[in-house]
Amino acid sequence: MINHVSEIPIEGITYKQLRIEKKPLTPEYVPPPPELVPAAKRAVCIDPSRTCMPFGAMWATLGVHRAIPFVQGAQGCTTYVRYTFSRIFREPASIATASFHEDAAVFGGRKNLIRGVRNLVCRYKPELIAIVTTCSSEVIGDDIQSFLAEAQDLMEEEFGPEVLDLTKFVVVNTPSFAGSHVEGYNRAAHEFLKALSRKSGQPSEDLYFIPGFLMPGDLRELKHLFELMGVSYHILFDISDTLDCPLVGMPNKIPYYPPGGTRVEEFVRAGDAKAIFALSPDAGGAGAKWLSRRHKVSAFVLPMPIGVGNTDELLKTVSEVSGRPIPEAIRWERGILLDAMADTLHYTMMKRVAICGDPDFAAAATRFVCELGMIPTYILVGTKSSSAAEEIWKVCEEYNYKPVIMNGSDQFEWEYALKNDKPDVILGHSRCVNISKEIRVPLVRFGFPVYDRIGYQREPIVGYRGGERFLARIVNAILDHHYPDDRTHQ
Amino acid sequence: MIHAPVGCGYYTWGTRRHLGDVYNWAAPGVLENEANHRRHCYTTAMTEQDIIFGGAEKLKRALLEAFRINPGAQGAIIYNTCSTALIGDDIEQVAREVSAMVGKPVFACASPGFCGVSQSKGHHEFNTQFYRWLLKYREKHPEVCMKEEEKTPYDVNLIGDYNIDWDLVTVVPLFEKLGLRILNVFTGNARLKDLFKLPDAKLNIVHCQRSATYIAELLKEGYEIPFVRVSLFGISQTAKSLRDVAAWFGEEKMKRRAEEIIEEETAAIEKALSWYRERLSGKRVAIYVGAPRVWHWPKVMEELGMEVVACMTTFGHKEDYEKIVQRVKPGTLVIDNPNEFEIEEMIETCKPDLFLTGLKEKYLVRKFGVPTLNSHSYEAGPYAGFRGFVNFARDIYQAVCAPVWRLARNEI
Repeated sequence: MINHVSEIPIEGITYKQLRIEKKPLTPEYVPPPPELVPAAKRAVCIDPSRTCMPFGAMWATLGVHRAIPFVQGAQGCTTYVRYTFSRIFREPASIATASFHEDAAVFGGRKNLIRGVRNLVCRYKPELIAIVTTCSSEVIGDDIQSFLAEAQDLMEEEFGPEVLDLTKFVVVNTPSFAGSHVEGYNRAAHEFLKALSRKSGQPSEDLYFIPGFLMPGDLRELKHLFELMGVSYHILFDISDTLDCPLVGMPNKIPYYPPGGTRVEEFVRAGDAKAIFALSPDAGGAGAKWLSRRHKVSAFVLPMPIGVGNTDELLKTVSEVSGRPIPEAIRWERGILLDAMADTLHYTMMKRVAICGDPDFAAAATRFVCELGMIPTYILVGTKSSSAAEEIWKVCEEYNYKPVIMNGSDQFEWEYALKNDKPDVILGHSRCVNISKEIRVPLVRFGFPVYDRIGYQREPIVGYRGGERFLARIVNAILDHHYPDDRTHQ
Repeated sequence: MIHAPVGCGYYTWGTRRHLGDVYNWAAPGVLENEANHRRHCYTTAMTEQDIIFGGAEKLKRALLEAFRINPGAQGAIIYNTCSTALIGDDIEQVAREVSAMVGKPVFACASPGFCGVSQSKGHHEFNTQFYRWLLKYREKHPEVCMKEEEKTPYDVNLIGDYNIDWDLVTVVPLFEKLGLRILNVFTGNARLKDLFKLPDAKLNIVHCQRSATYIAELLKEGYEIPFVRVSLFGISQTAKSLRDVAAWFGEEKMKRRAEEIIEEETAAIEKALSWYRERLSGKRVAIYVGAPRVWHWPKVMEELGMEVVACMTTFGHKEDYEKIVQRVKPGTLVIDNPNEFEIEEMIETCKPDLFLTGLKEKYLVRKFGVPTLNSHSYEAGPYAGFRGFVNFARDIYQAVCAPVWRLARNEI
C-alpha cells in the first residue's frame, strides 16, 4: 500500500473488461472493384474530406468581435457546426438559427428571419450579425436582402433608429451544394469586405491579412512576426482570442462574449489599407481581389506561410510593401528552423509522405515536405481547387517529384492508394486516424479538422518557429515509428 | 446513405464511439479500426447540377456502387435531408428499385431537417416509417420472421437503448440473468436481420421513452406486444426495473431471481459508491440533456447525496416535463430548450456545482468556472445499470473535485 490513492474505487467496469470481440462482416477480405476506386468514376462519395459551405462562413464570422452568425436554415445546420467548433477548439461557439420548420419550407423563411434577428438583437446586442444561408433557404429561394430590410424597419420602429447603428449586418449566401467550407470562408471574406469596407480618401499604412482556416496559435505566430517587422497590421477574422480564451470564473455580465476578434471598424477602414494579403488563396482570396478591384488596395494572394520558402515569400512581400527591412530577430528564427532541418535531414530525406487536407494546407505542406527532402506520394486535396493543384505541380517540378494528386476526391480513393503503397508518414487531419492505425503508419495531424489532440490549436505551424514545431512533430513521429531506440541517441 | 450535399453526411460521421462489434475488412488480415461505429461515410454529395436536375438517379447509382464496394452489407438505410426533400427526390422508389436489384433490404427514411422542431421529430419519423416498412418487408419476405419453433416465452426487445459507450455491457446481462432472451436492441449494436424479428417478441422493455416509445406503441397496436417502461440508471431505478419486468412475467422464480440479482449487484458496488457519496454529498447539480435522462437522473443524483437545482431538455415533450416535475423538488428551475443566454442566467441564479450537459454547452459553462460532464456520450462509460453507476459517480467526482476549479477561484 503506497498511499491512500489505492483505496479510491476507480472503476465499475474497466475499459479492459469492455474489450469487445470484433467480428468480420465477410469471411475474407474482398477488395473494392477497381473501377469504383477513383472518386471521379463513382456517384457515391465515401469519406469526404470537406464539409459544408455555411461552416466556412460561420468560422469567419466567429473571428469578428461580438459577432454572431445567424443561420437561415433548419436547426441541424447550426447544431452540427457548433458541435464541430466545440470539438476542434474546446471553446463555446455562439451561433443563432432561424430554426426552419415545415411552415418555413412551404411559406419561406421570412418570419423566421425577422423574429430571429429581433430576438438576437434584443438579447445579445451583437455588433455584427452575419446572415448565413443554407441549402434549404437557397432551394426555396428566400430573398434575404428584402427580409433583412423589413426586419431592420420593424426594429427601428420598435426600438428607435439607434438600434441600426448598434448592429451591422452582412449576408453570406452559402448553398452547400455549390461548394465546400473553403468556398464558404472565401465568400464570407468577399461579403464582409463588400458590405463594410469604405474608402475615406485618407490612405493608411495598414496591412490587412485574411488568414483562412489557420488556428489561434498560427495567428499569434503571424502577429509575432508582424510585430517584429514593425508594420501596422490587421488580421481579419481573427479567431485567436475568440476561439481560444482563458477560464476566468463567473463573468460580470452576461451574455458571454469572448474578448477578442476583429473589430467592425477594422473592416470599415480596410478600404484605406495599403495592401491586403490572402494567406490562403482559396479561403479569402476572393475578399482580397474584391478590395483591390473596388478600392484599388494592392492585393497579394500568397501560399499559406508554412515552411521556409512560403514564409520567405510572405515576409519579403510584406517588407517590400511596407518598406520595412526584415529584422535580425526574424533572421535568427529562420536560422533556427534551418538548423533544425540540418539536424534532422537523415530522418526526413527520402521518406515517403502522403498528404491530406484542404487545398491551401495541402499545397503549403507539399512545399514544406519537399524542403525537408521528403517524397510526396499521394496528395488528397479535399476540395477541388485549380490553384492548389497548380501550386503543387509547381513545387514538385522544382523538386523533381511526381506525386499522385487527387484533386477534390474523397478519402476512400486516397486510403485505397495508401493501403497498396504505404508511405512512411501521413500528414493529415483527424479523419485520417483510421487509415493511419490500419496501415500502421504514423499520422502527423495538421489542418482542418484536428479534434483529437490537446493543444493543437495553440501550437503554430506557420512562420519559422511554427515550421520548426511542425518539423519536430514530423520527425518525432518518424523516430517513434521507424527507428529503434539506439538509433535515436546520437 | 445520406442523400444530401456533403455537410450532412460529414457531420454525422465519426461522432459516436465504438458501439458495434461487427467490422469490415480494411485489408487482407486487418479489420477496420474500431474507434467509431461508422468507419465510413456514404453520401451522394449533391452538387448544384444535381439539385437543379434531380438527384434520384445519382442516389440509385450511389447505392448500387456502395453495395458492390461492401459485399458484406446486410442492407441499407437512405436518409434524405432538407435539400433533397425540397427538390422532391423519390427516395422510396429508389429504395424499392435497388432492393429488388441487389436482393437486400433497403429502407428509405424521410428526414428533412425542417420536418420538426428538433431531432425528436426525427426519432418519431424513423419509428413510424421503419415500422411500416418492416411490416411490408415481413409480408413480402416471410423468411425474415422468426420461426414458431425458435420462439420462447422469454423473448423480449430492449427498446430505446443506443449502447452509449457500451451501456449494453452493464444492462443486457441483468435481463439475461433473469432468464430473458433479448432479441433486439432498438437500436444499439443492432442488426437488420434481428430488427425484422421485432414483432416476434413477447414483451418490449422501453428505456428511452422519448425516442422509441413510438415503436413500442405501434408493436402493441399491431401485434399486441405489451411494453414496460424502465429506467436503468442508479440503484433504486434499476432495481425497480428488474422487479417490474419480473412482475410482468409473474413467475415466482423470476421474482426471486430479480431480488438475488439486485442484492448481489448492490453489494458489489456499495463500497465504491459510499466513498463517492461522502465526497459529493450536498453538491448542487443542473441537468441539461436530450429529454429522458433529465428525468432518469434526479433520483440518481439523490442517491449520490446531490441536490438537483435545475432541469433543462433539448427536445422534451409534455410528458417528459410531467415526469421531471414528479421527480424534482418544488422550486427547481425547469427550462424547455434553453438557449445559451438562458443557460447563463440559470448559472447565475442557481449556482450549480456541476452541470450535466453535452459538448456544445460544456465549454460555455466551464468559462464560468462550473464543472461539467459530457452527458450525451459520457466521459468514460458505461453509466447505466448497477456497475455503470460507479463509472458515473467516478466521473462526477472527477468533474466536481478537480483542483482546477479551486485554483481558478484564487486571485493572483
